[in-house]
Amino acid sequence: MGSFFDFFLGGFANGAVIALMALALVLVWRSTRVVNFAQVGQAMFTTFIALTVVNVTGSWLLGLIIGIVSGGILGFIVHLLVMRPVRRADSSGAIIATFGVLIALQALAAMIWSPEPRAFPTPVPYEGLTLFGRIVPFTQYDLLVLAITILLVLILTIILTKTKLGLSMRASAFNPEVARLSGVRVSRMLAVGWAIAGMVGAVAGVLIAPTATVSPVSFDIFLVFAFTAAVIGGLDSLVGAVAFGIGTGLVLSLVTGYSDASNAAIVALLLLALNLWFKPEGAFSHHKARSV
Amino acid sequence: MLEVENLSVSYGPVKALSDVSLTVPPGRVTAVIGANGAGKSTLMRSLAGLVKPEAGRIRMNGQDITGWGPEEVVRTGIALVPEGRSTIPDLTVLENLRLGGMWRTGAQRTASENRVFSLFPILEERKHLGADTLSGGERQQLAIGRALMCGPQTLLLDEPSLGLAPLIVTQILHLVEKMARESGLAVLLVEQNATTALRVARTGIVLNLGRIVMAGPAAEVAADEQLRHAYLGY
Repeated sequence: MGSFFDFFLGGFANGAVIALMALALVLVWRSTRVVNFAQVGQAMFTTFIALTVVNVTGSWLLGLIIGIVSGGILGFIVHLLVMRPVRRADSSGAIIATFGVLIALQALAAMIWSPEPRAFPTPVPYEGLTLFGRIVPFTQYDLLVLAITILLVLILTIILTKTKLGLSMRASAFNPEVARLSGVRVSRMLAVGWAIAGMVGAVAGVLIAPTATVSPVSFDIFLVFAFTAAVIGGLDSLVGAVAFGIGTGLVLSLVTGYSDASNAAIVALLLLALNLWFKPEGAFSHHKARSV
Repeated sequence: MLEVENLSVSYGPVKALSDVSLTVPPGRVTAVIGANGAGKSTLMRSLAGLVKPEAGRIRMNGQDITGWGPEEVVRTGIALVPEGRSTIPDLTVLENLRLGGMWRTGAQRTASENRVFSLFPILEERKHLGADTLSGGERQQLAIGRALMCGPQTLLLDEPSLGLAPLIVTQILHLVEKMARESGLAVLLVEQNATTALRVARTGIVLNLGRIVMAGPAAEVAADEQLRHAYLGY
């Protein structure tokens, strides 16, 4: 039974990162009704920037901070240069545009940093903690990942529910016309939404980097996981994204533990298919419950 | 004061408004009446900046605001309560109110909030509930409250009676009329329900197929039987 507990524990940190990426997808979906498939590309790109900063300065924290800032800027740029011009197109046009951005960012990253995979250092040891006298597959680094995720979710919740900016963003998402009539500059709120999503995605990228490698395509698989979590959560629920992000991490950890890591993506897609079959509106969709 | 000069609006080849000129004086209700499709809502939406006019001028306190977007128009002191319940059901009552006029100072916003709560006490009682829990009449009060939070000099009310019980409509309209009289608010009221509208209005304007066919004291408009038969259908 030790192994079940171990696999379970091992999935938490991974799930937290999936939750962050799902959160980024949900933030964009809520404000612009577009699934941003470029989100992992943006995260990959900013992780390369963060890695460069870490290598030059030797500071992991500075790398994270610069990564977050560049994530915000990149999200804003993608919105301004690509998504705003296609906003009059139908939604499939916008989604295809996000794929274009993904491919462009991957090509650009390969040109700047080469397609070769690289290692990303951790700020704290990546070694199993000792719990009840034995070593468990949960590291100090995993603990840091969980702490940062919880902190980020708290900050986002406070911004969205307690500030004028958050109220403006939510109103713009729910009813842009009433928001504009109330004096909210909705187009600005959409740009802010893309920027915040970019920052959240950047954190996810930096946190996941040490457990994977950093290359132009190495994060692609996380899009599958994050997309699964976001859709099962209802796509417009932040709570749903976090809950099912962590849940997806746990399930995948069990799958990897009992069978093989290569089955993880198949199981994720299976979960997605089952969800669409039985509960297409998502578990936390705001049509059923209030979402924040 | 809001002044409209030779305003024309088209949706593609369809002319929705032609050559409409009017002013909305402070301290009273001006009613725009007319049958379905007469262009009443188009008029309101173009005044609020939601629809771009094809020709003509819109001025607020002498400033030309023709072609401005709604988020800019509302800052000049024009607030629209659009047709249908323009509340956001996913937000609480208080959040719906606080959405209005976020560019204003904290003191101005607090003053407006207190004023809205004294006009509509039910909103204060329910302020922490979701707007989706309100009745139709309460939602209309909330929609008007949100507009008042923008600190308007001119309030545009588009069909507030839609789907409400007659008694509630009368209550709300009399409250609006009293507010205009006491605080100098200029109110432009669009209504299909002409009798009720003309009862609280000082001036009546009749729209037909996008043109003004009559404008004058509300009592005169209400008494004109020929006009009633021709354009209002009763």
